[in-house]
Amino acid sequence: MTVSTFLSSTLVLGLLEAAPLVLAAVGFTLIFCLNGFINVAYSENITLGAYFAVIFNSILGWNFYLSIIPAALLSGVISVLTYLLLFRPAFKRGVGKTELIILSVGLSYFIRYGSKLLFGNDLYNFNFSSTSYLSFFGIGITTVQLACIGLVVIISLGIYLFIYKTNYGERMRALADNEELAMISGIDPIKVSILIWFIAGTAGGLAGLFYGAFSFVSSSLGWNLILIIIMVTIVGGIGSVRGALIASACVGIITSAVTLLSKPLYGEIVLLIIFIGILKLRKVRV
Amino acid sequence: MEQLFSGYMIYSLSFLLIFIALATILHLQFSIGGIVNFGIVGFWGLGMYAFALLNLKLNIPFVPAVLLASALTGIVSMALGRIILNLDDQAVLVGTLAFATIIEYLATTEKWLTNGVMGFGTIKFPFDLGANTLFVYFLVVLVFLILLMFYVSKIKTSPYGRLLLSIKDNEILSQSLGKPTFRHKIIFFTVTCSLIGFFGAMTAPLYNYIFPRMIGPGITFTIWIALMLGGRKKLLGGFIGILATIGLFDYVIETVVPIPTQYAEMVPNVKFALYGLTLMLVLMFRPLGILGDKKREVKG
Repeated sequence: MTVSTFLSSTLVLGLLEAAPLVLAAVGFTLIFCLNGFINVAYSENITLGAYFAVIFNSILGWNFYLSIIPAALLSGVISVLTYLLLFRPAFKRGVGKTELIILSVGLSYFIRYGSKLLFGNDLYNFNFSSTSYLSFFGIGITTVQLACIGLVVIISLGIYLFIYKTNYGERMRALADNEELAMISGIDPIKVSILIWFIAGTAGGLAGLFYGAFSFVSSSLGWNLILIIIMVTIVGGIGSVRGALIASACVGIITSAVTLLSKPLYGEIVLLIIFIGILKLRKVRV
Repeated sequence: MEQLFSGYMIYSLSFLLIFIALATILHLQFSIGGIVNFGIVGFWGLGMYAFALLNLKLNIPFVPAVLLASALTGIVSMALGRIILNLDDQAVLVGTLAFATIIEYLATTEKWLTNGVMGFGTIKFPFDLGANTLFVYFLVVLVFLILLMFYVSKIKTSPYGRLLLSIKDNEILSQSLGKPTFRHKIIFFTVTCSLIGFFGAMTAPLYNYIFPRMIGPGITFTIWIALMLGGRKKLLGGFIGILATIGLFDYVIETVVPIPTQYAEMVPNVKFALYGLTLMLVLMFRPLGILGDKKREVKG
């Protein structure tokens, strides 16, 4: 392998890997930024997004691109439901931050194995009406992958503009920064929180759906990603959506570079070690 | 009589003892030391793999191999502790979780050492007493568990335990009283993690054959769920919690309740879904678990 093909293939494969991760990381960051805890159950949001798309695409026979819309909306609704039924009551009861994480682990187990009862241990694939291969810097990618990446770029750009450029986005950031101050300024915390959880859920569902489109859908889809998502969020700067965007692109490129140079899984190991190092350097403190 | 002592039941009970020990150590780390260890399975797996490798590849006898494996787990945890223990709880949580994942991945990738996903064996018991071997081993594990429980019950009222509690409740205050809090936390973390490694090494002969899927994150979460359910502030919390989760599901239900074969593969899914539901209910309505008080502590 020459240097130039190595560089181009890490770049292409890395960005391919990172594209859905960007969505998941942005959604996760939104919740982390608003409520200040690591929501492990976000992994199930990702899985459910993929499962919803399976229902519409593989079971009901809808076009893949068409089934994206209801799947994304439904995952947003699920996310809002978890907020209203579990996390909001928990905040009110004064559950501590560490306990909130454990609570989200409980929710994650409940949803993951509950959905396994419905969907079984099977792996699902999406039906694409037409797929052809393209060569891109010597790397073969499918038209579906290309379309997914295009959608990811458009959607993340949309979320980014929404958060940083619109009035609602400003309210969301205000609430995340200082809840009391935001309330005094006349921002309704429940409305805005519901909106954030909805957007986060939609982004997570879309991420799961695109991951499913790149390989297959299983009940552990989201669970396998959650550690990387947590890493990206913390490395990218806690609560910073911009940081999460950059960090997830780096994660994708590093993983594919190490994987191409050595064996699979080494990429993940290297990432985890870098991550523990960065935890130390940033001196994360409450 | 001999049948009973060598049978499946005693084998299951030995595992139950190991998990009770892990839950008790977690109680020690979380409720006395204030360390949120989400990588229990990493230290446990490290002890187990280190013991098995020393015992099988280097032919080191049982007792020194167990001690070396515990010491190695201690050294690794000290290095990890130096990096993450002065960070906040969430960083400790993800740091330990990442550590456990690294251990699981390394057990998979280092095929030359661990034979990868295929795993390796056979790990023998340290003694051969014919049909009674398993029962005697069970008694050995029981003795260590009782010793551990005794140590934990003493530590709470000892000056050292009070020091740990003060670090947990207000680290800056105990720092200002001249206590080297970071050093104490590292020593405490090292000792407790090497204990986890010790019980990991003791598990290896029970498994006989070990492979990476055994050291997945599921074990960490099951132990956490058990401790939260039983009562994280009580010495017997881990004991009660393990009995109510693993004990109830893996042994009582799977051996006593007749489950039709077509539903058999559903059982683990139902089990974990119920674990999750139980955990949520406990945290919402009875935050200190079965043994704990009903009310949530008032935060200052």
